[in-house]
Amino acid sequence: MTEHNDIIQVDHLNLWYGDSIALRDVTMGMPDRQVTALIGPSGCGKSTLIRCLNRMNDLVDICRIQGAVNFHNKNIYANDVDPVEIRRKIGMVFQRPNPFPKTVYENVAYGPRVHGVEDRKQLDAIVEKSLRSAALWDEVKDRLHDSAMGLSGGQQQRLCIARTLAVEPEVILMDEPCSALDPIAAAKIESLIEELKTEYSVVIVTHNMQQASRVSDHTGFMYMGELVEFGTTRQIFEKPHETLTENYITGRFG
Amino acid sequence: MSDDIVALQSQGIKPAARNIKEGLMTSLWFFCAAFAVVIVFFILVFLLYNGYPVFSTIGLSAFLFGDTWDPSGFPPLYGIFPLIVDTLLVMALAMLIAIPLGVASAIYISELAHKKVKSVVKPAVELLAGIPSVVFGFFGLVVLTDLLRVTFDVPSGECWLAGSILLGVMALPTIVSVSEDAISSVPKEFREGSLATGATKWQTISRVVVPAAISGITAAIILGIGRAIGETMAVLMVTGNAAVIPSPIWNVLSPVRTLTATLGIEMGEVSVGSLHYSALFGIAVVLLVITLTINLVAYKILGKIRSGQTGMGVGGRRYLSHETADSLKKYGIYVVTVIALLFVFIAAGLVVGLVCVLAVFLWFILRQKLNPRQVQYAAFALLWAAIGLVLFILGCIIADIVINGLPAISWEFLTSPPTDLGREGGIAPAIVGTFYLVIGAILIALPLGIGAAIYLNEYTREGRVTRTIRAGVDLLNGTPSIVFGLFGFAFLVLYLKFGVSLLAGQVTLALMVLPTMIRTAEESLKNVPMSVREGSLALGATKWQTVRSVVLPPAVPGIITGTILSIGRVAGETAPILFTAVVFSSRTLPTSEFEPVMALPYHLYILSTNVPGASLNQYGTALVLLVLVIGLYLVAIIVRRHYHMKIHW
Ligand SMILES: Nc1ncnc2c1ncn2[C@@H]1O[C@H](COP(=O)(O)OP(=O)(O)OP(=O)(O)O)[C@@H](O)[C@H]1O
Ligand SMILES: [Mg+2]
Repeated sequence: MTEHNDIIQVDHLNLWYGDSIALRDVTMGMPDRQVTALIGPSGCGKSTLIRCLNRMNDLVDICRIQGAVNFHNKNIYANDVDPVEIRRKIGMVFQRPNPFPKTVYENVAYGPRVHGVEDRKQLDAIVEKSLRSAALWDEVKDRLHDSAMGLSGGQQQRLCIARTLAVEPEVILMDEPCSALDPIAAAKIESLIEELKTEYSVVIVTHNMQQASRVSDHTGFMYMGELVEFGTTRQIFEKPHETLTENYITGRFG
Repeated sequence: MSDDIVALQSQGIKPAARNIKEGLMTSLWFFCAAFAVVIVFFILVFLLYNGYPVFSTIGLSAFLFGDTWDPSGFPPLYGIFPLIVDTLLVMALAMLIAIPLGVASAIYISELAHKKVKSVVKPAVELLAGIPSVVFGFFGLVVLTDLLRVTFDVPSGECWLAGSILLGVMALPTIVSVSEDAISSVPKEFREGSLATGATKWQTISRVVVPAAISGITAAIILGIGRAIGETMAVLMVTGNAAVIPSPIWNVLSPVRTLTATLGIEMGEVSVGSLHYSALFGIAVVLLVITLTINLVAYKILGKIRSGQTGMGVGGRRYLSHETADSLKKYGIYVVTVIALLFVFIAAGLVVGLVCVLAVFLWFILRQKLNPRQVQYAAFALLWAAIGLVLFILGCIIADIVINGLPAISWEFLTSPPTDLGREGGIAPAIVGTFYLVIGAILIALPLGIGAAIYLNEYTREGRVTRTIRAGVDLLNGTPSIVFGLFGFAFLVLYLKFGVSLLAGQVTLALMVLPTMIRTAEESLKNVPMSVREGSLALGATKWQTVRSVVLPPAVPGIITGTILSIGRVAGETAPILFTAVVFSSRTLPTSEFEPVMALPYHLYILSTNVPGASLNQYGTALVLLVLVIGLYLVAIIVRRHYHMKIHW
């Protein structure tokens, strides 16, 4: 499935937490400016895999890795690579909205400030643009300087997306971004993902099969740490090659 | 436990009888809990009552703002203004030392240290809290003041700076452990969110984690201030004790005298009922008011954090537009920096000041030039330096005392009475006296403490009553130990006519450790999951049966930890027993509760301040005391770790 325009390629990746293996020989590619979905039963390693893509797993002491994750054809686990640089280019949105206990404005301005933007006008512009891209501007433009903790769950999640967009990454990783939200808030995020893919590559983990089929272009099905099948979303959902995949998608799963 | 219930039913015990028993239990626990509040109230009233004559004779403002303290002059003058100023000066400089070191160490322990390193460094810093203040004072007197005398080429090193350095070190454990707690309880999600935007670890720490923990750090600092203001023995031994305002005001090498030291020095010599006596109680009132206010504020903040009102809360009303706030913040940094630098100039002199200015200048220039990674290296280097310095200080104190004390230790030293005013002979009576004091104090404080904790945690809902009781406990906890000493003297020794006796000392010490007992017991009861209680109650067990058979047993390790810690504090404290229990000359052991005793910390205090030429035995006594108290703390730490308890002290 690896094509030439894959922005991230996972190459024979194995991962252990202590002695127990969590990913087995995963090889796949995430196409540029497309949405790639990862599905699979709970505990199969979706979060583990997606967290490998921007080295968030570095934070887990007992985590050990073998194989490569290539971003623009360069292994992000090579010795000379700075994980901070990687995370700047590959942002992440988490399962539970995690805005900082700061104002809405400061949340979005956080990334640019951290990367050295200090000019107020420039920051204002970035904040507005990011909030607009995250379809949140109209709802918060009058309360930019109130605490972000006062927003609703769905707004908080879009704020986290805006926070990610503000540093202009190339890839956005989303680990079950809608699972803590009600259906309406989730629908807003879904349509947002549609728009994002014109400018960004998106990798999304989801439990919701409809969501995967609606928003993604490619889908990978994982089971017990292995990537069982990877293909276009249409192919995976309409004529999966593997029985395991078919059973999962049709809900006949033991 | 289920046996109990079955037995109950088969014997057909009447509900009425059961209710009476339950009711009795409830009142008993309530009494224990209310005791703390009563005591605080009682202490305050008793101090006020004894201090009243000085207020009425010379007037409150002449007392507070009179510029001379000279009780033995003609006429005697009782103005405590210089004492208040000195107290604040010593505290302020101490904080200037303790806050950066403490917060940096807390950040290091929480964010940078590897698990293994953390498991050594954290208890090491906590051990600092276990060193008795008289040992700090002794170290300050023989090592620190000497160092200052030589370094600055002055006739005596007993001065403001010596007191502040010592107090700064003593306040460190409080600041470190409370802020470390606040920092490590910042949710992991904040860190992940920040790192995912490509922020460096240091950016994440300085811009997200520390700001999110700021109220906890503030509380830690306030508690540290409270500890510094309430400390008696260490300051008394190293500050020279001249009741003057330093001249010029930034002369850190001037001798000073704090409120607490005044009590420690003069209380033993004053004639009861005189105006001087009353003035000392007036000082105690002032001291108590200051420390109580400080502690109330700190616990208010901590309480708010616990109930999640700050940091996470919905943004409150804004008083400033964000542009104003923004520029205030920007200029605020410059203003604070300038003030801090001025202070360094004042406190540490021209050379150190210039070096600091240069450093700050470099920092402001370099900050523009450096990339975040390099800034991170610099910041981490500073954090390492801070924790290194803290551990170095700890190491120095312990090494000095061990190396110089070991030669004194022999079987004879431990088992024979002192001769020649303690220059020769041993310390057996002091060891035994300390032992008696500990046993008595714990026997009084333990049941009261457990009872209060049971009431607070098991028998009431959170409400006005529990809030009042908790406030009482917090206030008792913040009361300086010398104030307990004064109270014990006036109430137990004189009013109840115990005389200077073992019993008076035991009761005074028991009051002092009561809050620690209550807190640790409550904490360990809280750790017992709710489901356990529900399980028992659902079987038809009564409240008391549930508490006794399923709640208390798993809480025992926690209670033991608290008890060991309390033993450590009782064994090391000097100020509370100074006027209530100890005599120096006693060579024999007490035969009844109403006779005075000797005690290790007091013995060390007298040897190092009043007996010239007892160097070897001083160190020997210090070592025995240190080993005893630190040993107890180590045991407590090990017990705590063994049971994975989340108990703080
Ligand atoms: N920090 C960790 N330490 C040890 N084991 C871990 C850790 N994180 C995950 N695991 C284990 O790795 C396996 C994969 O977990 P992962 O969180 O990636 O699953 P997931 O597919 O995201 O599941 P879910 O759909 O429930 O989120 C699980 O068996 C899990 O227990
Ligand atoms: Mg997951």
